[in-house]
Amino acid sequence: MSALGLVVIAIGALCLYAYYLDRTVTQQFQGRRWTLPAQVYAAPLELYVGAPLPISELIAELARLQYRAALKLDRPGTYRRQDDRIDVALRATRFADEVRPAQVLTIVAGAHSIEALRDSAGQDIPILRLDPLLIGSIFPTHGEDRIVVTPADVPALLPEALKAVEDRKFDSHHGVDPQAVIRAMWVDLRSHQIAQGGSTLTQQLVKSYFLNSRQTMGRKVREALMAFALEAHFTKSDLMNAYINEIYLGQDGDRAVHGFGLASQFYFGKPLAEVDLAELSLLVALVRGPSYYDPRHHPERAFARRNLVLKLMADLKVITAQDAANATSRPLGVTSRAAGAYYPSYLDFVRRTLRRDYPESDLTQEGLKIYTSLEPRAQDDAEQTLDRELARLEKSRAATSASLDGAVVITSPASGDVIAIVGGRRIGYSGFNRALDAARPMGSVVKPFVYLTALETHRYNPASIVQDAPVDIRMSNGTHWRPLNFTRQTYGPVPLVRALAESLNQATVAVGMDTGVTHVAQTLQRFGLERAPAQVPALLLGAVNATPLEVAQLYTGLANGGYRMPLRAVRTVLSAAGQPLKAFALELTPIAQPDVVFEVDQMMQQVIERGTGRAARTVLPRDVVVVGKSGTTQDLRDSWFAGFSGSHLAVVWVGYDDNRPTGFTGAAAALAIWSRVLASLGTTSWSAAMPDSLTEVSIDYLSGLQIEGTCANADTIRIGVPVSTQLAKMPGCIAAAAPSLAERLAERLRAIIHQ
Amino acid sequence: MMIRVAVLFLFASLAACRSLLSPERPPNPPPESAATAAPSGAAPPAAAPAPPIPTRQYRLGSAASALVAQAHTRAAAGDYPAATATLERALRIEPENPLAWIELGRVQLASGNAAQADHMGHKALGLATGDPNAQAAAWRLIAESLRARGRNEEASAANAHADLLVPH
Repeated sequence: MSALGLVVIAIGALCLYAYYLDRTVTQQFQGRRWTLPAQVYAAPLELYVGAPLPISELIAELARLQYRAALKLDRPGTYRRQDDRIDVALRATRFADEVRPAQVLTIVAGAHSIEALRDSAGQDIPILRLDPLLIGSIFPTHGEDRIVVTPADVPALLPEALKAVEDRKFDSHHGVDPQAVIRAMWVDLRSHQIAQGGSTLTQQLVKSYFLNSRQTMGRKVREALMAFALEAHFTKSDLMNAYINEIYLGQDGDRAVHGFGLASQFYFGKPLAEVDLAELSLLVALVRGPSYYDPRHHPERAFARRNLVLKLMADLKVITAQDAANATSRPLGVTSRAAGAYYPSYLDFVRRTLRRDYPESDLTQEGLKIYTSLEPRAQDDAEQTLDRELARLEKSRAATSASLDGAVVITSPASGDVIAIVGGRRIGYSGFNRALDAARPMGSVVKPFVYLTALETHRYNPASIVQDAPVDIRMSNGTHWRPLNFTRQTYGPVPLVRALAESLNQATVAVGMDTGVTHVAQTLQRFGLERAPAQVPALLLGAVNATPLEVAQLYTGLANGGYRMPLRAVRTVLSAAGQPLKAFALELTPIAQPDVVFEVDQMMQQVIERGTGRAARTVLPRDVVVVGKSGTTQDLRDSWFAGFSGSHLAVVWVGYDDNRPTGFTGAAAALAIWSRVLASLGTTSWSAAMPDSLTEVSIDYLSGLQIEGTCANADTIRIGVPVSTQLAKMPGCIAAAAPSLAERLAERLRAIIHQ
Repeated sequence: MMIRVAVLFLFASLAACRSLLSPERPPNPPPESAATAAPSGAAPPAAAPAPPIPTRQYRLGSAASALVAQAHTRAAAGDYPAATATLERALRIEPENPLAWIELGRVQLASGNAAQADHMGHKALGLATGDPNAQAAAWRLIAESLRARGRNEEASAANAHADLLVPH
């Protein structure tokens, strides 16, 4: 065959190859859709007159949302504070149920709460939400995460900066810049390796979108042909927008940060539209090497490269020299923690919730928007409290090298919203999630359910006298079970309320055996325990495993007047287009009589006032009523505290992962954390209305005898018992003078006037 | 004139004394059994004593009221999920207010979830101690939720509870 023939064949083959590439590139790129990981949002903060939100908290929330303090509210994402008044230029925001346009809002806040809320025209606004904080995304296993932006979301300077730094002839070339290629080849030949870039933005896009990262000569040719094909079929602005969304700009553990939209959130915690010149230049600087120039790990390299970008832009007159000089003097300004993936323990629960309804691919690819109940303030406080208190406890005991760990779950009991989950001590670490996966023996936190079951028989009331005496139960295998009290003492006849408050094991077993272990097991399942517990007498003292989240579910029924509601992390799922796909609405299931639940709650109030939870009183404000129960398991392996106020329910577990003894009771370790968590929430009192079937009586806490008048040496508590309950009276009391007829008449008239 | 005033005072005193000295509490109907599988309307009250004295009157604050108004608009447009979401916001602000629960129950009923409406009515009833108006509203919600399920007799009984609290 002649040489000419070979050349013809070669050209023909090249043409065919080019045609094939052209088809491939065009088709793939035409139908391109980036895989969009679901974005997860925290609960937006509600602003209204009277909202318990001091000005300091408000400023902290604005900072969390990356609102910038400014003298002039010239763009969304800025705010201005003058004494107790804050003017905020709110961003346009999509909530689960509506889109709010950008607007200016005036907030007047005092030391404790919001005092006024006005729009830009000075009109009062009854209620308004701040933006929901983006707390992370659910990205696929290959880790590509991005937030897609449209040209309208992109600062006009960004394409200009990219052209100035990466590809000056972008507007005129056909995908390849021959001069740049020759220059690069020359450098490569001299250094005997392929190192020099010389790629146009189009080639970089091709490389990232279609090819793997190996550098070979054949691949270079393919890249050039594909870039050429792209340029032939798509406009420059299309290609620029694709580049801005596609390019790799950082790494966060398993998560690869793609596109400028996410990079802006990742490094600065704010939308791309809001970055200033210095920030924009840093993002452009990262294109060349996101790990080499990582501003969090190599700030000096990032700083130099950013300033080089500014200089190049000034040289090409993209920006003025003055602007460049100003920006050059600015610090890098990256946030200390990567935006998103703030709260891995919480996201873990969100992911598990959604996996029941959505295939993994929908979560990682379809751009869903997930609105959750997370309250960042509560979550941050709980994380810090857990770590700080565990460190203090370890110090107090000169604990072993292994690290004491723990978990915290906080919910809003009236709605079933889970507002915070701390899965362990290491903040922001997505490892073993103790809140969801550490199923440990419940110990005495099970006891309220023993007493609730007993009260349901109507053979007991909170003042009933029970015997705390040595217990000896013969088991079916012939062994004997002889549980002791924690103090190893025996207390004799005690009222039910005291048996619970002081967590007396012997009295509890007596009540539980009389009530029936089977019934107690059924109660636990009714309140939401999913596994059927083993029906053994030791169940009465908490020989049943539960995770902190499960304990929170069980206590929800107690906090909620006898209604169970599923604990919810996710409120709403929206499609990428903003269509509601699923709402997890509030759901009530009646599981116990409200009066019985009220009695148990009042008994648990004495845990805090007089029992094992007394230490909480030194931490919580004196006038805040809370109820709860401690739990300690055998050899002090697990330390629990579970309880609630009017507005919050919290469960704390402390222990070692390898189950060794901690040396701490529930009251010593978990309670210290629990009470500080509740105090930091600024919680409200437990104040359930007493059901009409109950009546309040005064009894002596120690003996359970009813008090009428004034009794010497009595420790009086007021407690609800069923109407018509007959109680033994405390002897030796001086009858109090009954209110005179005149006094009673006056009171009655007041009631009538009130009516 | 003086005599009339004196007579009136005497009557008022007698009425007050009677209720003061009577050992019974105002006949608020006890909250219905929540643990029963199907919350049933209680039996109609045997007698019809005077309406109870209110000791409190629930109102929604301005924030929750604004949300309730918005929820009404959304429910009227048939967008029950959005109405529900709006009422849940109100409930987060005033979780102990029976009126918020009653509003949420009404939307549940309108969207065809009568059982949830029933539960929310009972939940509201438990919170409404001392407020006959709120209790009556809760009973009427319960009555409607029963009627929606064809349980007309129980519905009438629930309505009778409401009438007793706040006569028509």
